[in-house]
Amino acid sequence: MDNLQELLHGFTIAVTVPHLVLMVIGVLLGILVGVLPGLGAPNGVSLLLPLTFGMQPVSAIILLSSMYWGALFGGSVTSILFNIPGEPSSVATTFDGYPMARDGRPTTALATAFGSAAFGALVGVILITFLASWVAQVALAFGPPEYFAVYFLAFASFVGMGGAAPMKTVVALAIGFAIAAIGIDTVSGSVRLTMGIDELVKGVSFVVAVMGLFGIGELLVAVEEEFHARVVSSTIDWREVFRAVARLPRHGVALLRSAAIGCWMGITPGGPTAASFMSYGIARRFSRRGRHFGTGEVEGIISPETADHAAGTSALLPMLSLGIPGSATAAVMMGGLMIWGLNPGPMLFVDSKDFVWGLIASMYVGNIVAVALVLLTVPVFAALMRIPFVIIAPLIVIICVVGAYSVSNSYLDVVLMLGFGVVGYLFKKLFYPLAPLVLAIVIGDKAEDAFRQSMLMSKGSLGIFFANRLVTSLVVAGIALLLLPLALQLTRIRRKPASSADETTSQEKVIV
Amino acid sequence: MISRRALELSTAILTGSFGVAVVVSSLDNGIGWSSAGVDAGTFPFLTGLVIALGSLYNLVRGVLPAARLANVPIALTSTELRRLAGLFVPAAIFVAAIPLLGMYLAATAYVFAVLAIPRHQSVLRSLMIAVATPLALYVVFEHMFQVTLPHGAIVAAIGL
Repeated sequence: MDNLQELLHGFTIAVTVPHLVLMVIGVLLGILVGVLPGLGAPNGVSLLLPLTFGMQPVSAIILLSSMYWGALFGGSVTSILFNIPGEPSSVATTFDGYPMARDGRPTTALATAFGSAAFGALVGVILITFLASWVAQVALAFGPPEYFAVYFLAFASFVGMGGAAPMKTVVALAIGFAIAAIGIDTVSGSVRLTMGIDELVKGVSFVVAVMGLFGIGELLVAVEEEFHARVVSSTIDWREVFRAVARLPRHGVALLRSAAIGCWMGITPGGPTAASFMSYGIARRFSRRGRHFGTGEVEGIISPETADHAAGTSALLPMLSLGIPGSATAAVMMGGLMIWGLNPGPMLFVDSKDFVWGLIASMYVGNIVAVALVLLTVPVFAALMRIPFVIIAPLIVIICVVGAYSVSNSYLDVVLMLGFGVVGYLFKKLFYPLAPLVLAIVIGDKAEDAFRQSMLMSKGSLGIFFANRLVTSLVVAGIALLLLPLALQLTRIRRKPASSADETTSQEKVIV
Repeated sequence: MISRRALELSTAILTGSFGVAVVVSSLDNGIGWSSAGVDAGTFPFLTGLVIALGSLYNLVRGVLPAARLANVPIALTSTELRRLAGLFVPAAIFVAAIPLLGMYLAATAYVFAVLAIPRHQSVLRSLMIAVATPLALYVVFEHMFQVTLPHGAIVAAIGL
């Protein structure tokens, strides 16, 4: 019951006029970046990050997290109305959302999506409320080897469950680690990997990487296809909204299953995108109307949306209690935490109670604010989509350039950002996952420190990672996840030798 | 036209050479074990090695069995390539021009050029958007958030 008391205290922090105003601003900005192709939650949040440095940490995180909720909702709006996913995580929503909207039921599609999204988010927040402080308590006893084991588990689960080709995930992760290592080494003080460029001593900021990878990269992917914003009616019929939401409990099984998938993928970290695809795939296999999926089926909207939001929300659980973000956006927010002088991880629950519970309480309120605002503003943001892409594209380029520059007033950052844009485009095009890359940049240093401290403790013996039951089971689970893709491939080869080379992942198949 | 295979190859080569560069560069920091614990270069060395080997694997997978990628033989058609260049080349020129022209002038010229030259918009409208952009930047950054954007060598030379 302690948690509930803390939560009530959190509400007294979150439900104040300035914080409600911040939520509204955050959600509106979030819907904006969610709707605009080329701007998404990760780089929206990183754009806003430098502007929060003067704020109280709790106000800043409320602003940024509200933007995240807004972006998650905004991405679904364009998926349903225009068949253009504003966010990678809402790609799966286009499969049934757009056909339903095209059939003349846009309100039903939107209300179903928002209703199930809110349900997914609610399950995620409840999970955080009851589990986060418990996890943090367990983690308080962690030493460097346990920490490294948890990091290892997190990275291994990207490889095992992220949905992309395993070796591409490994390469993306390792590149992230290498980028994190650029600059001054915190342990020895020596300068690393600057490749002769003196200015790199300060390191490469994750904000610059995110701006390029997600901003410019996504823009390049978007410009490739001619932009056909074929508008279906975007007027909202309010009675239908309530009717659609009232019909949701009939799909209780799908809702609960998708929420469970979402929470699992958010915590472990697989991320919202993988969660929504997995949930859609599983729903198609198990639903009685699975054959009708793709033609505007209700459960085809419920499943990805619920999982997307459940994953997006629960991605904050490991960020708060362990210091391991569960998604790219959570990684950016965690970078923010460190800049504000907070130490993400179990100590947050001891040192900054107000911050943690204020944030958790704001997640309940913020999601309600987001559902209300997104329904009210659908026509406005739908109209925004009629602005030609040729005008929006250069403006987004300028926003990314200025954003990268303002991180540390460095021109080199702008050039790096453009380079990251090319990498982001290539990676997206070839299905290299971007989230693990960003994650590794943000927590690479911490993972390395944990490894080196463990080595100091054991005088160089790897045996320390098998020293007690906790650390052994974490490491073994991580190794199992790393080997999972290999094992799956072997069983597939044994079953049908002919098509064994089929490595395209489910996500890739769906997109191709 | 660019095939999926060529794209896979060049990306694998790109990541692989980054891996090799990381390996070579981290050797300077020393790898292995010293009195102060694990040497500074060890961790980057290992990640560099993983990048290089992983890229090699991706490279081989990209070349060898053509059947797997046969369903997407063409990754980029020439029209798509032209559209890509149409976005990226002006953006790169814009970034290259910032040290000389400064953020504001470069942004104005960039927006005007992309809108007016391919005749997407009328000259007047392009001009309006091109002028409005730096004004908005100035108000938001220099005024509201006190971030000074680069003013450029030309402005400095004139002495503004």
